[in-house]
Amino acid sequence: MEHRSLLRIALLAGEIMLRNGAETYRVEDTINRILKSYDFEVIESFVTPTGIFVTVADSSMEMITLIKRVQKRATHLEKVALVNDLSRRFVAGNLSIPQALQELQEINKKPSYPPCLMILSIGLAAAFFTVVFGGHWQDFIISGLIGMIWATLQMYLHHKEVSNFFVNLVGGACIGCIGILFTEVIPLGQNLDPIIIGSIMPLVPGVAITNAIRDTIQGDLVAGNSRASEAFLIAISIATGVGIVLKIYMLITGGTIL
Amino acid sequence: MIIQAFSAFFATFFFSIIFNISKKELIYCGLGGAIGWSIYLYVLHKTQSPVMASFCGAFIVGIFSRIMSKIRKVPVTIFLVSGIIPLVPGAGMYRTMFAIVDNDLSKAATHGILTLQIAGVIAMAMVMVSSFPHHSHSNVNK
Repeated sequence: MEHRSLLRIALLAGEIMLRNGAETYRVEDTINRILKSYDFEVIESFVTPTGIFVTVADSSMEMITLIKRVQKRATHLEKVALVNDLSRRFVAGNLSIPQALQELQEINKKPSYPPCLMILSIGLAAAFFTVVFGGHWQDFIISGLIGMIWATLQMYLHHKEVSNFFVNLVGGACIGCIGILFTEVIPLGQNLDPIIIGSIMPLVPGVAITNAIRDTIQGDLVAGNSRASEAFLIAISIATGVGIVLKIYMLITGGTIL
Repeated sequence: MIIQAFSAFFATFFFSIIFNISKKELIYCGLGGAIGWSIYLYVLHKTQSPVMASFCGAFIVGIFSRIMSKIRKVPVTIFLVSGIIPLVPGAGMYRTMFAIVDNDLSKAATHGILTLQIAGVIAMAMVMVSSFPHHSHSNVNK
């Protein structure tokens, strides 16, 4: 029976890591490392961004293959760090199997930062990026406002389970609308350029881009390619959202912005 | 420049909260972003080349992340993902898209190619840093 619980631990550890933004090779490595603590003759794991496949075999038992489909992905890097640490302690023999399983389930339930803090952070990140890209203090305030409005909207849409593509499209359009409102209609902001660039930064798929590169370097070409296309799709949907709004504004006023 | 580096610190810091990085590492993540952006600004000032500046910035962020992940004993991704954020060519993406909307195709091509170049050299810098040999096998994942 021990090998079954071991397999459960390995799969759960892998799933938590994959769901929360770990690189593919790290997930495979963790699964293999946990399984090596039992004397299996064959250990194979294959991980893609959307699923995990694990096979183990021994002379004393039938070959077991498990597949885990991973659909919802988020970014929770603290969980990745915690599982990474747990797998190390487990392999070193400092954890029993039931303890490890319980601890994994606790990690899995670990909450993210509270929504208010999240909204505030997105606002402040957007605001500071505006300054990084050469905005004034008025622009700082406007970007902060845009970031917070957009973050609230995003949480609402995710709650309603709208597809990611549409959420980013709406996000881009929202940034474009509020940006134009506060620079052209109500001339409070100094320049539209840094406001929009700063505000779209929190939408930029940083984890997807970084992991796409790291996966490709490691030779996980399937994973690298699918992450790259994920990043590309997000970038296009944001750009389309902002672009539509700017184009409509230009058509209405007949003039150009900037 | 000091204001910009300072802002980059806070921008990266708040970004790390969005990524749900644990409280203990937030300061170091912010530091990585500030260092990367300072290097970027310095090289940009010296060479006037955003491509070269992005490469140097990403390279230093990569080395910083490797060192920090050894010291803090957490996966290198945590520092890498957050530190690289200010360098990601969001501005280039936006300007390319804006030029396309404006139907100014030659400008779109100029900005588009520059954006691809920057994205490419950031990737190259990360490849080079990640390809340094690890000290021992047990450290691979740290």
